[in-house]
Amino acid sequence: MAILRDEWLDLARKVDWEFRYVDDRDVFPEELSGSPWLPRSAWKDWNESYRTSYREYVANQRAKDESVRSVRDALDKVRLVEGLDRGWLQLVKFHNGAFVLAEYAAVPSELRMARFGRDAAWRTMATLGALDEIRHTQVQLLVGHDLLRLDENFDWTHRAYHTNEWVMIAARHLFDDMFVAASAIDTAIQLNFVFETGFTNLQFMALAAMADKADHHAFEKALASIQTDESRHAQIGHPVLRTLIENGGKDRAQFLVDKMWWRCWRAFLATTGTAMEYLTPLRARDRSFKEFMQEWVVDQFVKNLEEFELDRPWFWDLFLEEIEFAHHSLQLGMYLYRTTLWFDEPVPDAAERQWLQSNYPHWEEVYGPMWDRFDRAWEAEGEAGTIAYALPALCNLCQLPTVFLRPGRNTACTLERDGRKYLFCSEPCRWIFEREPERFADHRSVVDRIVAGQAPGKLIDLHEWMGLGASDHKGKDLRRGLEPWRFVPVPKG
Amino acid sequence: MRIYLFGYLDDDFYGRVVLTPAEHTVADLAQQLVSWAPVTCRGALFVTNEAGAVLDPAATLDAAGLRNGDIFTVATAGEE
Repeated sequence: MAILRDEWLDLARKVDWEFRYVDDRDVFPEELSGSPWLPRSAWKDWNESYRTSYREYVANQRAKDESVRSVRDALDKVRLVEGLDRGWLQLVKFHNGAFVLAEYAAVPSELRMARFGRDAAWRTMATLGALDEIRHTQVQLLVGHDLLRLDENFDWTHRAYHTNEWVMIAARHLFDDMFVAASAIDTAIQLNFVFETGFTNLQFMALAAMADKADHHAFEKALASIQTDESRHAQIGHPVLRTLIENGGKDRAQFLVDKMWWRCWRAFLATTGTAMEYLTPLRARDRSFKEFMQEWVVDQFVKNLEEFELDRPWFWDLFLEEIEFAHHSLQLGMYLYRTTLWFDEPVPDAAERQWLQSNYPHWEEVYGPMWDRFDRAWEAEGEAGTIAYALPALCNLCQLPTVFLRPGRNTACTLERDGRKYLFCSEPCRWIFEREPERFADHRSVVDRIVAGQAPGKLIDLHEWMGLGASDHKGKDLRRGLEPWRFVPVPKG
Repeated sequence: MRIYLFGYLDDDFYGRVVLTPAEHTVADLAQQLVSWAPVTCRGALFVTNEAGAVLDPAATLDAAGLRNGDIFTVATAGEE
């Protein structure tokens, strides 16, 4: 007689060993398993709702991959891909560079939990999480590879994380902190609870819905299938957080949640926020980034905080103020410094401006004059008049330009430590740095490297240092393109 | 000796790195930043440090207490 699934699954998931010749602290050292180090008994009730067996996992994943590949085979004919909106293609290029190899970097982090997580069911779930992240890398590399025939800069899907391009330095800094250089407990809270439960809905579900309306169905299917995995392995975070809070680790938990909430927010406003509202075709926008944030991210996060009796982060008011403005301010900077990106950026046209104004009541008043200046500069001086030549000041924590929250509202601040002055875009970035200075102090921003002579100060050389050698590989104005003089070789020596 | 500072125009939207000789004056510094601005600024320029104190335009950067990595803000009386 066959044993029913529910009769063996919990036993199998919880199979564990009691060590006779070594102490638990030796098998699960605090540096890798995480702080606070709790006795084995504290973890015995660890559980999550998916309770997936390996056999079920393989069957489900195979079905998901088949679904993605059948859509790709049926719909990604050359003529269909060539019909994709030009702005949308830039969004996909941006997304691919910024996120795809981060999935691969998450594999060893999931495996760290699979080895050093303190409960057998946690380790089982993290093993499946590692397999998830490999699949996410592969399926998105496939999307990028298919688009190479349209634009060779889609090789940034694989290349971006291997360059010193400034967005990618910011991304590496974030993900190193979140999970590459984090213990099992810190990874579970920062990656699984905050990033995956809190934010990836935005990147994978909201963007998938937009991809559908932009007629990019292979991308849509890939994103949607990824998010179903994220929803499952994100469940690691809840029971780890609960165990910590119930065993005297509430302060540590609150810190990790606050820190990673702010860091994720900065990353998502720079990537998803700008891409959704400046690169997505109007027909594909049914909600604004602000609305997605409020409904899909903020409301859910507040419920999670209440569930665990955690406080809202101390910077909550600043965060809410930023939702209205910050990604629009950063977009201005990205346009101005577009030659340092691997994708193109547009000046919003009249219809897009109307859409922005209808979704952000202050947009035309605050940002309209800034974009008008770019239009006037194009008319008067051409492309050269619309590009920044001074170095932007970069935050020593998030590594993003210290853009004003909105024009006229500057939140930049500094900190002196061991004779070195550090610059921050905001108080929360400074606070994160101050809480763990030994973790961040030795990192040098692109500007620090230029000042120290470790990176070239001349813009043309800096482009090359960032991996953006050829003229037509650098970001350009989406609609106006490059001026012909850019294709004239620069004399060497 | 050259120092690097982070300069902000108060009605702009981002900060710029400014490399400048420490013996230059605060007024020189303001002009250097304004010259990069997307608008032409008119009238008097006021320079403040991170604490919000207004700096003497005739003082050298060194005398005004500006050191490597410091923030300064330039407020303008008007623009065209």
